[in-house]
Amino acid sequence: MSANPKPVAGDASAPIQANDARVLIVDDLRSSRMLIGSVLKAAGFTNLDYAVDGLDALERFRDNEPDVVVLDIVMPRMDGFEVCHEIRNTLKSDVPILIQSGVQEGNQRVRAFDEGASDLVSKPINAAELVSRLRLHIERRRMIDRLQRYQHRMEEELHAAESMQMSLLKTPEELAELTAPRGAEVEAFYRASHKLGGDLWEAFEVDEDRFGLLMFDLSGHGVNAAINAFRLHMLINSYKKLRKDPAAWLAQVSNDLYRMLPVEHFSTGFYGIFDRRDRTLTYAGAGAPTPVLIRGDEAIELDGSGVIMGCLPSAEYETRSIQLQPCDQLCLYSDALYEDFDDPTQSLEVGDLVGHIRTGLEQREAAGFADALVRSILGHFPDSMPDDLTILRLEVK
Amino acid sequence: MEYTADRSGDTLRVKISGVLTFDDHERFKSIVNLIAKGEESEITLDLGQIKMIDSAGIGMLLLANDKAVKESKKLNLTGVTGHVAKVIELSKVDQIIPIS
Repeated sequence: MSANPKPVAGDASAPIQANDARVLIVDDLRSSRMLIGSVLKAAGFTNLDYAVDGLDALERFRDNEPDVVVLDIVMPRMDGFEVCHEIRNTLKSDVPILIQSGVQEGNQRVRAFDEGASDLVSKPINAAELVSRLRLHIERRRMIDRLQRYQHRMEEELHAAESMQMSLLKTPEELAELTAPRGAEVEAFYRASHKLGGDLWEAFEVDEDRFGLLMFDLSGHGVNAAINAFRLHMLINSYKKLRKDPAAWLAQVSNDLYRMLPVEHFSTGFYGIFDRRDRTLTYAGAGAPTPVLIRGDEAIELDGSGVIMGCLPSAEYETRSIQLQPCDQLCLYSDALYEDFDDPTQSLEVGDLVGHIRTGLEQREAAGFADALVRSILGHFPDSMPDDLTILRLEVK
Repeated sequence: MEYTADRSGDTLRVKISGVLTFDDHERFKSIVNLIAKGEESEITLDLGQIKMIDSAGIGMLLLANDKAVKESKKLNLTGVTGHVAKVIELSKVDQIIPIS
């Protein structure tokens, strides 16, 4: 064990040390190089490299990229402006570049920044100013590097968590294997607003004639909601005996959520069982957005109401039932589909949704029902949405 | 979200207006504090001027109610109309918080 452990990448609490930074000093005058070098050594810098002109600087830069460059302007073969330009535009590096410039050389100072210089240091060299500016730029650069590494790591972790969450959901093949022998077809769509989300759908076997289809929308979104969605997913796969009874099943899951969730969190839910023998849908709702059934020219609104889950120690639900017919299309969706918080007047009523659902059904061949439905409502399919969106379609065969 | 609070007798009446969503979490905390620290034993949250409410907004109402219950106070919701009424009807919030 070392008494001073080396900070690991992404450790935001580690102090930033400038002294070990690699400094490339570029000046055609040997005396100037030596002066800058001795100033920096005296200030504690230990990792110095020297270049005698612009071309030499670029060569050294390519061999071993420094943490910071102190650059003279007037040099043979290639001047400082050109070096600066090359570092930025050809080598694509954002390493800090400090250009030495006399105070009276106004045009030069403006041009230095145009070519991509980070800062100017006065020439002749002022030791204290040079060291201060150098430290400032090194620390700033390292802070940015550190934040970038941190951001990159968080993105990777979020991405991994997103994959985990997606792997909870059944694939279209698994869905078909479950629903086709039970006289129905189910199409599912889910997209989180920020990689991780609090929506969850699932379908499972009740017996050889029946399958259950459920959808939850946990309050909030992002990481918090996703963690709750993982916990909820574990609950869903317990209570297999209660699966035949939608109201009892929702009540059991709600009571568990009541113990699990903080007081201000809850979930809306829908749980339905399709039975191929008499083509009935038996279901219970817990604040679920109104399910819409399309039967030819008719549109039937199902009742998804019920006390939101996780708010009462002993919640009660009502099992409802509807007789379905071949070719019926049932559409379930989360509230992200119709609510517009940026402009509440743009929010859709269930009646408005029916037309879009019909369009979605008609145009689903191209890229699926959800895609066609969202395009019908918004006119396009957005890259990101303000809330998690789930859309389920159940077709009776 | 904006709100005004007025006290009369043993009742604290808080009128909330605008849109009640996730972004209002911090501001809503001050309402929860009013409920917890006030002398009044009855609290009325008037939602009549709320244009729209999301799941986080419902969560805040649950939080306010929970605070009141823990302080042995009575909280009820009034002015439930429009979008708020639809959300509350669908999610049966009346089973959790009294509505008058």
